[in-house]
Amino acid sequence: MTAAIVRRLLRLAVIVLIVTFTTFLLLDATPGDPAVWKLGINADPELLAQTRAELGLDRPLLVRYLDWLGDAARLDFGESFFTEVSSWTLIRRALPKTIELMVLAEIMALAISVPLAIAAARRPGSWIDRWSSGSAFALLALPAFILALYLSYVFAVRLGWFPTIVTDLPGLNEDPLENLRQMFLPALTLALNLVAVYLRLLRSDLIDTLQEDYVMLAQARGLGDRRIMWRHVLRPSSLNLTTAIGLNVAGLIGGALIVERFFAINGIGQLLIVSIVGKEFFVASAIVLLLTVAYVVVNFCVDLLYSVLDPRIRSGIR
Amino acid sequence: MASVSRWRAVTPAGRALRLGTAFWLSVAWIALLVFLGVFEDVLPIRDADARGIRTGEVERFEGPGWNAWFGGGPQGEDQLARVVAGIRPALTLGLVVTALAALVGGALGVTAGYARGRIDAVTTAAIDIALAFPALVLLIAVRSTFGNSLLVFIAIFTITSIPPYARIVRGATLALAEREFVDAARSMGASTRRILLKELAPNLVLPVLSFAAIGFAVVILTEGALAFLGLSIDQVTWGALIAEGTGEIRNHPHVALVPATVMFMTILAFNLVGDGLRELTAPRTVATVRRLEVEGDRVAPVGEPVLHVHDLRTTLHTPAGPVHAVDGVGFDLSAGEALGIVGESGSGKTMVLRSIVGAFPLAGVTRAGTVDVCGVDMLRAPRAVVQHTLGTCVGMVSQNPLTALNPTRRIEAQIVEPMVVHGGLDRKAARSRALELMQHVGIPAPERRLREYPHQLSGGMRQRVTIAIALANRPQVLLADEPTTALDVTVQNQILELLGRLRREERMAMVLVTHDLAVVHGFTDRVAIMYAGQIVEQGPTEEIFSNPRHQYTIALMGSIPDLDLPSHSRLKTIVGSPPSLTDLPPGCRFAERCRFADERCRAEAPPATGPARHGYRCWHPGVEPPVEVGRGR
Repeated sequence: MTAAIVRRLLRLAVIVLIVTFTTFLLLDATPGDPAVWKLGINADPELLAQTRAELGLDRPLLVRYLDWLGDAARLDFGESFFTEVSSWTLIRRALPKTIELMVLAEIMALAISVPLAIAAARRPGSWIDRWSSGSAFALLALPAFILALYLSYVFAVRLGWFPTIVTDLPGLNEDPLENLRQMFLPALTLALNLVAVYLRLLRSDLIDTLQEDYVMLAQARGLGDRRIMWRHVLRPSSLNLTTAIGLNVAGLIGGALIVERFFAINGIGQLLIVSIVGKEFFVASAIVLLLTVAYVVVNFCVDLLYSVLDPRIRSGIR
Repeated sequence: MASVSRWRAVTPAGRALRLGTAFWLSVAWIALLVFLGVFEDVLPIRDADARGIRTGEVERFEGPGWNAWFGGGPQGEDQLARVVAGIRPALTLGLVVTALAALVGGALGVTAGYARGRIDAVTTAAIDIALAFPALVLLIAVRSTFGNSLLVFIAIFTITSIPPYARIVRGATLALAEREFVDAARSMGASTRRILLKELAPNLVLPVLSFAAIGFAVVILTEGALAFLGLSIDQVTWGALIAEGTGEIRNHPHVALVPATVMFMTILAFNLVGDGLRELTAPRTVATVRRLEVEGDRVAPVGEPVLHVHDLRTTLHTPAGPVHAVDGVGFDLSAGEALGIVGESGSGKTMVLRSIVGAFPLAGVTRAGTVDVCGVDMLRAPRAVVQHTLGTCVGMVSQNPLTALNPTRRIEAQIVEPMVVHGGLDRKAARSRALELMQHVGIPAPERRLREYPHQLSGGMRQRVTIAIALANRPQVLLADEPTTALDVTVQNQILELLGRLRREERMAMVLVTHDLAVVHGFTDRVAIMYAGQIVEQGPTEEIFSNPRHQYTIALMGSIPDLDLPSHSRLKTIVGSPPSLTDLPPGCRFAERCRFADERCRAEAPPATGPARHGYRCWHPGVEPPVEVGRGR
């Protein structure tokens, strides 16, 4: 166990080094000069040079990177060239919204897809199965920006139930109802895209498990369908779903980008785009670092969850 | 040529018709797009760049109508013209990227999958790293460095699309390279290149094509997403149109909704085409509909048997046609009586047990006839009554103890459950009875075993647990489906002894299903021989052994290894195999394999004959017993 964790941490460190350095490299290749953006095009050349030196932009890329890395090791992730706000503050402002969005989306997606998958798996070929599989297929063809457009047209413009964009989002602890009202459409957009994936995955795994001997025997013992489904079938069928959730939780932090842009939510995705376009080496690298760590940590939790779900994994049989 | 024949087998001419309406509608939609894209310049459509505020032909944000079918844009552009103008970049991007990525990725994948070893390891590692890389960062950085021409986009998209193709082709190649026709070609001395080109490539075309159709959709989608973020190509694209209209969703919804819907339909069409093509490579052969139906009327038993089966007919409706798995089976069992059902695999013997308890594989199932357990009509009584009867009156043990227990639940949960649900015990009482049961079936250290999971027990122990669960509510009928087949020989005897002891102690009726006549001998009171869904002979065990009448039974007897013979004498086996249950012969079902079969055997099904206690279905039964009265038990 300890050896496994150490191995994982080592791998995480290597991945973090690769992605953060690549981010520096790519940003360095993009055109533009932060000093000019800061001072304006007509700024005094001497002042420009001085600013560049202050920002450290006159030194070689590798030195700048190693510098940032050294600071990052002491949890100082540098600050924005333009606003002079520290990366950490920027992230701390943006992160809660993105995380709320992601958690809401996952909850909605599971609340929709698990019951539907169970109903579909109980009667493959029934109207509910055909209808839900068809919808899932259509949802797979709906990119987030089109889905958001449709949802926002129907529920915000036509019905007026929700706002078209998120403005002055109150904290979840201050005004939970208003907060949820504003976050509903963005979360639903993300959720529906997830539903398409989860539904297909869980349905086919449930149908496979229903063919197992132990399920046939449970039926032969006169146990009810509902009991069999929830207590006997769901857990052994949920391994692939868990993997998918893990991948998506990590993916959503970056993938919420489109939805954040559409509904004007100042989350991590927006911050990342702004930082890349603005050549903010430090902020962008800090975000990429955060995403990578989140990705690895979430997947580590998924692995732990595996052994809770399937006791055979605990003793290393599978 | 093996590969050619296989290729044809995958796509017979008739298969194309079965792709379905949705597939052909999608093809029609794509064809329409291609037509409009190619003939855009000669069609009577307005210029996409012409602004209505200058020409006066279209008003700003004009609603859709006769003048402009798709309405007007922010500057009075004709939205129809702009949507049509967006076809070319979308299709060009999709086609070029898909073709390039499929070629390069396919070549990489085939090489890696075929060569294996170090080449494969390096390629796979590269694919994994590439897939893990944050593509968006790359896209944005490259785009802002190299500009926004179509060529740059093609380059970026191609590079990011290669890894998935390489991965899928590698997987398909690995699977195909195992197949015999590749081996055959290799052993005939074909060169590696020749095998790759002539044997593997044709078989990979369809999976790659199917993946490419979906990849096409992904390219269109990604361009849309980038355009939405303001990072599009320097041309009119659907993504750019949607991005432009999004801000006007409140006042002029058509500006964004129309191009969005066109894009959605296009992505859906490509997905449907890809799905249809995939279905061609791996057509669904398993049944997908689960439905349980009951036909006919109940026939009441004579006397009071605990298990009464009369003229039971079970039909499974599969895509290959109806399977007559059980065809007119009947027997009665009183308390304490044991019946052995013997037959080859596929004879329908397991399906008899499943028909009694009503648990079937995924298929539509029709049952006709009568199954009474403890006086309850299991086919027609209300569901709750049937379930309660199953829970209290029937115990079942299945063939494979490794799959009979739920791997994710503790032994305790599994053994206690039927007692709590149907036995009316609370959890504590159920637990102490569980301990008792575990001891009863001979499990050492039951306290510890209760807390364990199935995988921590040996096969024999697991079978004992299954038996303990079956006994939980003191059933009157025990159904055992090959309970010893999957076990070691020594454990087999222990389990059989245990079952025999339990039967005597609890006075249970028992049905023992097996393919092994020797198991039945000395264990059951009566034997039923099953063949192709029918009981062809049934009688007291002693009599079946001493005086078999049906030619199939006689042949079966001949195939039991005789320990009195010298150890190297040849084992007699029955030549041939049973008839398909979807296509049964009109006459005797054993006729094909019987040395006594004649014209009548092939044309006319033999009726059940012989005395009630020992009946059989055969036109040429074995020798009559000298005296019929006074034999048997």
